[in-house]
Amino acid sequence: MVLGTYKEIVSARATDKEIQNVSQDGGIVTGLLAYALDEKIIEGAVVAGPGEEFWKPEPMVAMTADEIIAAAGTKYTFSPNVMMLKKAVRQYGIEKLGTVAIPCQTMGIRKTQSYPFGVRFLADKIKLLVGIYCMENFPFASLQTFISEKMGIDPTLVEKMDIGKGKFWVYTQDDVFNIPLKETHGYEQDGCNVCLDYTCELADLATGSVGSPDGWSTVITRTEDGNSIFQQAVETGVFETKDMANVKPGLDLLEKLAAQKKDKNQKTIDKRKEMGLPVPY
Amino acid sequence: MSEKIVISPTSRQEGHAELVMEVDDEGIVTKGRYFSITPVRGLEKIVTGKAPETAPVITQRICGVCPIPHTLASVEAMDDSLDIEVPKAGRQLRELILAAHHVNSHAIHQFLIAADFVPENLMAAAINSVSEVRKTAQYVVDMVGGEGIHPSEIRIGGMADNISELARKKLYARLKQLKPKLDEHVDLIIGLVADKGLPEGLGVHNQPTLATHQIYGDRNEFDLERFTEIMPESWYDDPEVAKRACSTIPLYDGVNVEVGPRARAVEYKGFNERGVVAQHVARALEQKTALSRAITILDELDTSAPARADFDITGTNKLGVGAIEGPRGMDVHMAQVANGKTQFYSALVPTTWNIPTMGPATEGFHHEFGPHVIRAYDPCLSCATHVMVVDDEDRSIIKNEMVRL
Ligand SMILES: Cc1cc2nc3c(=O)[nH]c(=O)nc-3n(C[C@H](O)[C@H](O)[C@H](O)COP(=O)(O)OP(=O)(O)OC[C@H]3O[C@@H](n4cnc5c(N)ncnc54)[C@H](O)[C@@H]3O)c2cc1C
Ligand code: SF4
Repeated sequence: MVLGTYKEIVSARATDKEIQNVSQDGGIVTGLLAYALDEKIIEGAVVAGPGEEFWKPEPMVAMTADEIIAAAGTKYTFSPNVMMLKKAVRQYGIEKLGTVAIPCQTMGIRKTQSYPFGVRFLADKIKLLVGIYCMENFPFASLQTFISEKMGIDPTLVEKMDIGKGKFWVYTQDDVFNIPLKETHGYEQDGCNVCLDYTCELADLATGSVGSPDGWSTVITRTEDGNSIFQQAVETGVFETKDMANVKPGLDLLEKLAAQKKDKNQKTIDKRKEMGLPVPY
Repeated sequence: MSEKIVISPTSRQEGHAELVMEVDDEGIVTKGRYFSITPVRGLEKIVTGKAPETAPVITQRICGVCPIPHTLASVEAMDDSLDIEVPKAGRQLRELILAAHHVNSHAIHQFLIAADFVPENLMAAAINSVSEVRKTAQYVVDMVGGEGIHPSEIRIGGMADNISELARKKLYARLKQLKPKLDEHVDLIIGLVADKGLPEGLGVHNQPTLATHQIYGDRNEFDLERFTEIMPESWYDDPEVAKRACSTIPLYDGVNVEVGPRARAVEYKGFNERGVVAQHVARALEQKTALSRAITILDELDTSAPARADFDITGTNKLGVGAIEGPRGMDVHMAQVANGKTQFYSALVPTTWNIPTMGPATEGFHHEFGPHVIRAYDPCLSCATHVMVVDDEDRSIIKNEMVRL
């Protein structure tokens, strides 16, 4: 299945205005982690917090809703959240942990749960793994380069970045800029070209913008836990939802992009194999 | 007619050692010699010439039984060589880890001696008790040290991080819960040891005790001037033993000593019992002292305070000393740092101190009690080995005048 195993797919957004204002799309990640914290399903969460350098995130152990909200928004460069998980269950004393991760990180996390070398006592403490869709990610220097050199924008003025409708978007206080996504090709990290997972197939629940209207997210619930936590949050009024059949552009687009990523990158994998190069699968 | 009884290797201890006892017609030990036959590790040589931060990471691998004391002794030696003032919270967290480690490590030893003291019908209960104590104690080491076996958080200058308030409260609550359980456990162990009815005076010797602190260790209480070290061939009067013994003989004021829980109790708690039973009792009681110390630290700890000092690794070649009271006794690491690199490193470890005292402690009783005397020290040989076997055929060790590792 091109979208992985799942229980349900809906379009949703957080009802809280504060979350809507700061989040990237429908505020699903922030809303759900804050809800889980509130309900004591988790005691804290590892998120991509603000770092010392503008737009360069630092993994952070958030133990309050305010800290989770402060980390909202997509940063299009690596935030090594996986590294912080162990610290969260050690020095931070968290025994029920939540986190957010892109697909490759999610694979890493699931692997550490199966083979806990160097990460003893972590596996059973991860209670909620919220996955986000990912087509590619950029090393920090790449990101800076194409924003400042190709788009001609001072990176310190950037308020938000986004990918959508085939373009890379940059929002400053007064303006919106974009370049076609193909202009960013070659700047992504090399590993992204052999990555087959678009919709974070191993998460408890995965979300991204694709498929839903602006300000809304497409939510795929995957595990029993992911599904039940999300349903509870919807019932409590944390999220409002719409049937995927009634939203534009709809599920077709998500399926199309997920399939494209698999096809294109499988070709790269085959080519690498042919040349005798290593691939991580 | 004198006969030789050889136990090789002695069992239910860490590492390999041999006990050679000369016995009379009644089987009474007239001469006891205990010595290490564990192959050399050479870790001090490995860390020399490397960055100071390498030393704690490598030397904690000396042994899987007491990696915590070795890490602590190593960072303390480096702190001293680099003249670093460790912040209060860092010092408290270090002591907290060590206190928890004492509780855990002593419980492991109680498991090892269970076969000697615990009757069949109580075996399951005793082992469960050990497991329960260990689980909570190791939880503290895991949380504060980052890893239960090789702690990654203990760093030169203090600790990599302070713990969160959530962690502090959880640890405090769990250790409080452990207290009645540990009291029961200690009573059980002391009772079982008493019930065994070992002969009066078993393991008693007249050597002095050496300890630097009730729990943690204090370099100011270890006087390097009073320490000397001799090679095994000048200690063991049996040439066969002398040539195969793998550890040097450390002396304090020119004599061999006893270190460990009983030594600490004698030095700091007015304890005056001697011998095998006294060692087991002192060890069990020390678990209680360590637990209450851990609880006090958790009560007092300011989790918002810095746990690590900033420092410069250049160094002035000052000889730094780290003295840590490991579960099995005082563990001293010494280091000199200059030009940002470790110039000299030496570890003077707990069981090395006890080795020369342990053999003679078997004397005067039937050789069947020999292993009891040895196990009462909870010997751990892997870190003790400091000389190398050069001839695998006859197992003779490296010559005195050659490199000492
Ligand atoms: C590199 C990257 C590529 C993406 N590509 C796509 C895509 O092709 N299609 C699509 O539909 N969606 C994509 N997304 C996801 C999308 O941008 C949103 O992050 C997602 O929809 C969640 O929005 P939200 O409003 O629910 O989350 P918010 O409430 O805004 O919270 C976002 C959460 O993600 C965390 N986060 C931010 N950046 C990172 C990072 N780099 N690594 C790990 N965690 C991070 C934050 O800490 C925060 O907790 C991508 C995200 C990233 C990081
Ligand atoms: S495309 Fe795959 S490898 Fe690249 S950042 Fe996204 S999930 Fe990771």
